[in-house]
Amino acid sequence: MARIPTVDLTSYLLGGQLSRHGCLRVGRASFPSRAAIGQTRRFSSPIQGSPSTPTSNPPVPLRKQLKDQARALKTSGYKKKKKTDNQTVPGWELTVGIEIHAQLNTARKLFSPAGTSFDDKPNSHVALFDLAIPGSQPIFQPETLIPAVRAALALECDIQRVSRFDRKHYFHWDQPAGYQITQFYEPFAKDGRIKLYARDGIATEDGEQVTVGIKQVQMEQDTAKTMAMAGESHRIDFNRVGVPLIEIITLPEIHHPATAAAFVRKVQLLLSSVDACTSGLEEGGLRADVNVSVRRTDDPSGTLGTRTEIKNLSSFKAVEDAVIAERDRQIAVLEAGGVVQGETRGWSVGSIETRRLRGKEGEVDYRYMPDPDLGPVVIGEQLIEHLAKSMGTLPDGEVDLLMSTFGLTAKDALALKSQDEGVRVEYFYNVVLRFEGHFQHTDVPAELRHKRYLLAANWCLHELGKLVKASNELGWTEDGECVIPSASLAEILYHLYEKKITAKVAKEILWMLFRQEVPGGDVGAVINTMGLWFRELSKVEYTELADQVAEGEDKVLSEFLRFKEGKSKVYPHGKLMFLVGKMMRAGPEERMDPESAERVMRTRIDEVHIPSLQSKV
Amino acid sequence: MSTRSRLQGLCLRHVSSTRRNGAASHQQRRLLSQFISKAPPQADTPYTQTPFTLAVKDNIATTTQPLPTTTCASPFLTTYHSPFEATIVTQLRARGARLVGKTNLDEFGMGSHSTHSAFGAVSQTLPPGGGGEYSAGGSSGGSAVAVAAGEANVALGTDTGGSVRLPAAYTGVVGFKPSYGMLSRHGVVPYANSLDTVGLLARGVEEIRGLVVGGAGLWREHDPRDPTSLSEAARGRCVGAREGYGGGVDGRKPEEVLRGVNFGIPLEYNVEELDPRIRDAWAAAAAALQKLGARIVPVSLPTTRHALSAYYIIAPAEASSNLAKYDGVRYGSRASDTDAGSSDGGVLYAASRGRGFGGEVQRRILLGAYTLSSEAMDNYFIKAQKVRRLVRRDFDRAFALANPLLDEPEPFDLSDLLEDVPMENKLGPAGVDFLLCPTAPTLAPKLEDVVGAEGQSPVDAYVNDVFTVPASLAGLPAVSIPMRVAAEGGDENAPNTAGLQLIGQYWDDARLLAAAEAVMEVLGGSSR
Repeated sequence: MARIPTVDLTSYLLGGQLSRHGCLRVGRASFPSRAAIGQTRRFSSPIQGSPSTPTSNPPVPLRKQLKDQARALKTSGYKKKKKTDNQTVPGWELTVGIEIHAQLNTARKLFSPAGTSFDDKPNSHVALFDLAIPGSQPIFQPETLIPAVRAALALECDIQRVSRFDRKHYFHWDQPAGYQITQFYEPFAKDGRIKLYARDGIATEDGEQVTVGIKQVQMEQDTAKTMAMAGESHRIDFNRVGVPLIEIITLPEIHHPATAAAFVRKVQLLLSSVDACTSGLEEGGLRADVNVSVRRTDDPSGTLGTRTEIKNLSSFKAVEDAVIAERDRQIAVLEAGGVVQGETRGWSVGSIETRRLRGKEGEVDYRYMPDPDLGPVVIGEQLIEHLAKSMGTLPDGEVDLLMSTFGLTAKDALALKSQDEGVRVEYFYNVVLRFEGHFQHTDVPAELRHKRYLLAANWCLHELGKLVKASNELGWTEDGECVIPSASLAEILYHLYEKKITAKVAKEILWMLFRQEVPGGDVGAVINTMGLWFRELSKVEYTELADQVAEGEDKVLSEFLRFKEGKSKVYPHGKLMFLVGKMMRAGPEERMDPESAERVMRTRIDEVHIPSLQSKV
Repeated sequence: MSTRSRLQGLCLRHVSSTRRNGAASHQQRRLLSQFISKAPPQADTPYTQTPFTLAVKDNIATTTQPLPTTTCASPFLTTYHSPFEATIVTQLRARGARLVGKTNLDEFGMGSHSTHSAFGAVSQTLPPGGGGEYSAGGSSGGSAVAVAAGEANVALGTDTGGSVRLPAAYTGVVGFKPSYGMLSRHGVVPYANSLDTVGLLARGVEEIRGLVVGGAGLWREHDPRDPTSLSEAARGRCVGAREGYGGGVDGRKPEEVLRGVNFGIPLEYNVEELDPRIRDAWAAAAAALQKLGARIVPVSLPTTRHALSAYYIIAPAEASSNLAKYDGVRYGSRASDTDAGSSDGGVLYAASRGRGFGGEVQRRILLGAYTLSSEAMDNYFIKAQKVRRLVRRDFDRAFALANPLLDEPEPFDLSDLLEDVPMENKLGPAGVDFLLCPTAPTLAPKLEDVVGAEGQSPVDAYVNDVFTVPASLAGLPAVSIPMRVAAEGGDENAPNTAGLQLIGQYWDDARLLAAAEAVMEVLGGSSR
């Protein structure tokens, strides 16, 4: 049998994302996370515009890439400014409009019954129409409306009763018909808005909240995936051609780079929370193009400056950085007496300026035409009502709930909600539910309850986060579970909260769970067999330890005396903690609780050591 | 001559020239290149298993051996094998059709004489054994000639702006374009989707009537793979407002069918370019019908004069879009000229498309690309679409039956109508059942007059579609039947058959075909 060159094989392995350089970092064998592989899919070619140069270079390892970028930055003498400094340029106003393409979460393509699986063998989900076989016709798949309408509802749009499909013409090999079917003249949703709050990470100049208007949302077809091969050849996978997308177009109402990034982040959060979208920006399910213009703040005409478009931004940071770079470039051009050209520009991660892709003269006239094969799409009130009802709470509502009912900080609440496409917060609820189940009295003051929730949130976010490099390695499932069963984590938390184990032991058991060394996830059994229960020192033992540590620390103790005599106004808490620390080191740590130690030390100082000092004086 | 006197000439001229000697003048002619691929003759096949032979225009997909290619007469597709069969072919095979060949056409259906073909021009020789080469009409010229020559009982064509009716008129056969949405287009390579229909050609009306609206019942069949095929529900609604579906007229005499039927004579169709012999024959036909108890009523279709321009904007626009897929990457041979370095990536396609398309197709692609461009869109494409609506409104107010696709009739201004049109009552003129008009303004021209540098200009060719395009724009059923005309200056060698067109209201196909059958019998059957 002929040997297949590795170069060729890579295109069929892991969706063509297999690097030929270095080794694949293989995670834990128990969950090689099929989803993770699918999510690394990227839009390898632009959906619109004239052909762009596909990446024909062999992939460069990320580490090397980052190193090179850092070196390039250093040699260029670029100094990283603080984020807060670069949101405004005195005398100039920035205006940004954003277009976001998002892949709809549906089982079928927009106009053919072919499936939308991405990890499968290339060219295995292709109907006649997807390849534009002569005489084949588009058959609109009504179920694609479900995620589309959900998305439009989340963006507070007016859903149009009647919308239509148009053909947008341009030649590219990834588009077999020679046109893309989209909604140009009559999109299905218009006039929406997104409210961005300070917690969403908008620029401080925008205050507590800012609203960004959505001009329209339209449905359209994705293109085929191009895979660059060695040399000059490319392979095309038509599994992706015709997969439904929505394009979200904002009004030019964003005036700060951080707000632009916050907008894209929030769109991703909204779309994933209503289950409209397959994956996020960084995974390739979402793609952002930004339109940037500047004008002088004292310009009386009030008209916007000439805008440029930066295509294909693939991370939130890229959105912010590209907007800053393009704003600064335009201002520099105008201050030098030049004119900004309306053109399309590109951005590479880590660079400090945008680069020109093509000018106006290179623009394609898309010759939009109503598709003569496709009738209008009529969306009934009932469908809209049903989807609105069944959509659940939107992220802002849920974040508010997490803050008010659970007493979480805005930061933690948002982090829970926005991570792992909304699964992490489900996990949090599962953990809380089971954690609470351990207590006999549920009727406790809010303050106490919040303390428990805070503990749970802390572990769900931070302690869990320490286990892995990337969150998706935790093996999240739809129903809000991961490799650490919520019941096991809840049990750890209960024992920790009740001081039956120490924090150190708790963390140790978490690692054991992660390594799947806890049979059946039974935390209690492991603590039993390994004898990890917290057998706290008796009061007598604590007292002995405290006295032993205080021995010879007269200088420190005199601070407490000064406080008691009113010579110092502040209680010497630091000194107390110094003594407690010393106590912890001196004693058997696994049997000690810092709080108990502190309490005993404090009592001993007050009752024994101060009087003893006084008597010495 | 005023319009009024022209009308009188049309309607009141004494009928004397209608001779019932069609069979005598039916002559065998030498026929050229009507087939692109042809199945070997099958001898000894019992009639019961092959009720009829079928020729299929080569822009309709077939997969059955030995006719595997679907070329559209384009250099791009000379070796193209469709992976699936067109629904209409499957449907007809299920009804006993035996495929005899794929017929020649104008490339992708664009043309009026079937001369723009990668396989050479189609022509008919008149009269037999010499004489001249004449145009067979287009774009379904190959199908028409195959039927005229008796090589197929029925032929499939496509009719976008008259591509079935015009060849039928030139070759003396019957050509039928059904209501838009009745017959599936799945597997028909599109030229202009919003206008394309599958049409049928045969020697008589009866064969077509039986297949489409009679017992064989093609009218019933919705095709889920064609989004423009009327749904079952819509078919039910349309048929509910119509008569004659599923047979029932068989065996009736023409006078029974025609008595009391209102035929409208569209005054705007009496154009200057109309050959006087055709005008005479038209008037004679009207008079003959009147004699049998039909009513002849003048009607006005005021937007007719803009229809042709609108058609030649809409159809090329859709064509330019549909043909974008032929880029040399998947179809045809890729031009390997590497002058590609001179410009950006587009040139790869440009060279291939420049080579792979014929001149007429390139002309229409350019025309369409222009009218869709952002600077011309409003002034051409949008206006043409508005004209299209007006054309349909003209028809709707001429017909007695309402258009079942509209919730309620659109209002119109009586002052738009020609003053010659008499009012039936204060609401307007009488509604008619069918419109009666010529299919084309001239007889079949000599082939040498329509090809080559000395031939017709493209606009001359487009003018042939002036009477067929309005029904296409409105999606209405129309049928062309043969009509004898007087010999030109006694020249017995010149063509002597024109087409008489009947147009019906939407989904009135059943009554239209029944009426056409009766009219054809009155006019003397097939005239050749």
